[in-house]
Amino acid sequence: MGGIFRDFFDRNGAGLGIFLLVVVGFWVVILIILPQLSMLDFSFRHHLPPPEMGGPKDTYTIEHYKYLVLGAPGADTSYNVVDLGVFGRTLIAALFVTILDLVLCYPLAYYLGQSKGGGFVRVLVLLLIIPYWINEILRAFAFRIIFGESGVINEVLLTMGLIGSPIDFIRANIALYAGLGYAYILLMIFPIYNVIESLDRNQIEAARDMGAPWWRIHWRIVIPYAKPGISSGCTMVFMLSAGALAAPQILGGPSSLWFTQIIYQWFNQGGNWPRGAAFAIVLLLTCIVIVLSMMRLFKVKIGDIGK
Amino acid sequence: MKSESYLLKFFLVAYLVVFFGYLLGPLFVMSITAFNSPGFPRMTPWECLTFEWFDVLAEDDRIIEGIKNSFIIGIGTVILSVIMGLAGALLLTQIWPKLRATYYTVVIAPILIPGVVLGISTLVFWDRINIMLGFTSDSLFNNGIFLTILGQSTFIASYCMLVFIARLQRFDTGLTEAALDLGATNVQAFRKILLPFMKPAIGSAAVLAFLASFENYNTTTFTFGKFPTLTIELAQKVRYGINPSISALAFIIIVLTLIGALAYEIYRRRQQLALANGAPLSAVSGGFQLPRIFRGNPAAVIMVLLALGGFSTIWFAQTYSPTECKLDVREQKRIIQNQRILEIQQQRQLQQQQKLLQGPDIFGGKKAPAAPGNTTRPQNPGKGSFGNIFAPKNLDKTGPKD
Repeated sequence: MGGIFRDFFDRNGAGLGIFLLVVVGFWVVILIILPQLSMLDFSFRHHLPPPEMGGPKDTYTIEHYKYLVLGAPGADTSYNVVDLGVFGRTLIAALFVTILDLVLCYPLAYYLGQSKGGGFVRVLVLLLIIPYWINEILRAFAFRIIFGESGVINEVLLTMGLIGSPIDFIRANIALYAGLGYAYILLMIFPIYNVIESLDRNQIEAARDMGAPWWRIHWRIVIPYAKPGISSGCTMVFMLSAGALAAPQILGGPSSLWFTQIIYQWFNQGGNWPRGAAFAIVLLLTCIVIVLSMMRLFKVKIGDIGK
Repeated sequence: MKSESYLLKFFLVAYLVVFFGYLLGPLFVMSITAFNSPGFPRMTPWECLTFEWFDVLAEDDRIIEGIKNSFIIGIGTVILSVIMGLAGALLLTQIWPKLRATYYTVVIAPILIPGVVLGISTLVFWDRINIMLGFTSDSLFNNGIFLTILGQSTFIASYCMLVFIARLQRFDTGLTEAALDLGATNVQAFRKILLPFMKPAIGSAAVLAFLASFENYNTTTFTFGKFPTLTIELAQKVRYGINPSISALAFIIIVLTLIGALAYEIYRRRQQLALANGAPLSAVSGGFQLPRIFRGNPAAVIMVLLALGGFSTIWFAQTYSPTECKLDVREQKRIIQNQRILEIQQQRQLQQQQKLLQGPDIFGGKKAPAAPGNTTRPQNPGKGSFGNIFAPKNLDKTGPKD
């Protein structure tokens, strides 16, 4: 162990070495690890007014986790149907958004990756990036204008006479799924594009010469090759849409909530921080478990993410 | 065989149109609404061309204040996360191989952790430290700007680190070793060799960090305290009632983004051109791209068009006054409304006559006002057209029941 440190300081010099260690230590310990641990600890505490914190009443409890599963003591139902229902719905909807993005992005990523480059493709890539620079709130707001009751789609359908009365896209959550899918499209397309770009075109030529139909070429050659990109894109889109807050707040129907919105309410309106922290821990752990099991299923390593 | 490839091409074009329609359509629609006169952002029906929403935007103090806070936080975040990202990337190249995977997992995790969780953990952690140290609630650790910078830097540093890792992979460590052999100190080698090599990456990481900080919502919404950023202000406006001044802001941001992207594209092409002309080695790799650059520079053309469009808009804004058009629209609306009122009155009269004919009817009182309900559409769909989703109460329906 000491040898490693000596080596490290020999390579960087004392000043620079210490600087690197301090900065990375600050980031890893103070910004990443300790806050998560403190949130975990906090989620097991009672909800107390500030003066009583650290006092005799400040003991560990699992009441907040119990609340998420069983509901408030004395409720009519034996399980917390509302919160658990929202939780399940959020995960399923996030999965749906991920699949939507994958289906939408794969063809374009393949096309961009296999084309020989040039001006047209460059312009396409530029066009891809531009929406990503616009504020998340504004993007959601744009969908609100489009899908609103007097929005563009309803007006067009009404004028064409296809529908008699406006469709409530917001209540049906169509606006929400479209907005969420839109928000994370870039995170799906670039990992896949980067991988497919390095695929040897001769492999596809060979398969075609042997008479393979196009879907078989994709199924047996392109998709297995692009697997790291696909799973890294899916992981990011899933995590981000499950943890999204802005789009559900703006585009979500009045009757449906996103799990992050419940957490937000415990912090801002409910004023019960420990319970909000407990819910956040549940969200975090569930997302990690889902992502890890997906990686195990598709045999991908964490090192592939972010490439 | 031939027809099949035509079909394929057709599908490809259709797909590209749909995809980019989905991608750019919303931005286009939103930009249009900034110039339409109704008080609620909408593209149809088109009423009057107006620039008043830009004035409304410029007079909105909260937006201006939000932009100021966003800039302060953005600059702090850029400094902190570029330094941390660079240090993190440098350490990754040197760390003990057995620890490398664990280390990489830890520093990449903030990208995958939901932003909400990052915000909450930052808030809780510093709040507890504050209590532990016995500070008052208005100390630095409870300051919105301080907390937001830390919370955002936690994950933005990871993005920066990815940029630096990509650049470091092409670094020739022989250069540093040569410098050290020639008697340079470690700091000198770092400053004179590694830093200049990393300079482009530092630039792009800084831009990336600033944009990410500027548009962050999930983390900031828990940590901003008394210093709401632009994104927070926007979110509150969008949730609790809106007018097209937000579209005007969106339009400005879109135009700035377009100009930035095009300027970058032009810069890159210039650089490639210079490289191809100057350095013979890189001319080999960039050789076959040369004619394409000469064939015309679409980015430059678009930029000129954009500038022309901007100037003509300004000129038009000075000569055109939307007041007349608005009066027209109001007059038309008034006429339609009068017609509706007349219709309703006629219906009522008709019903009353029927009632007189039929004799007293106890349900008549209830039936009469229900009749016009189906025929009239709301005059100003601006309010309540989303089923009152903007009303603050609606968002809290399933809220905490403590």
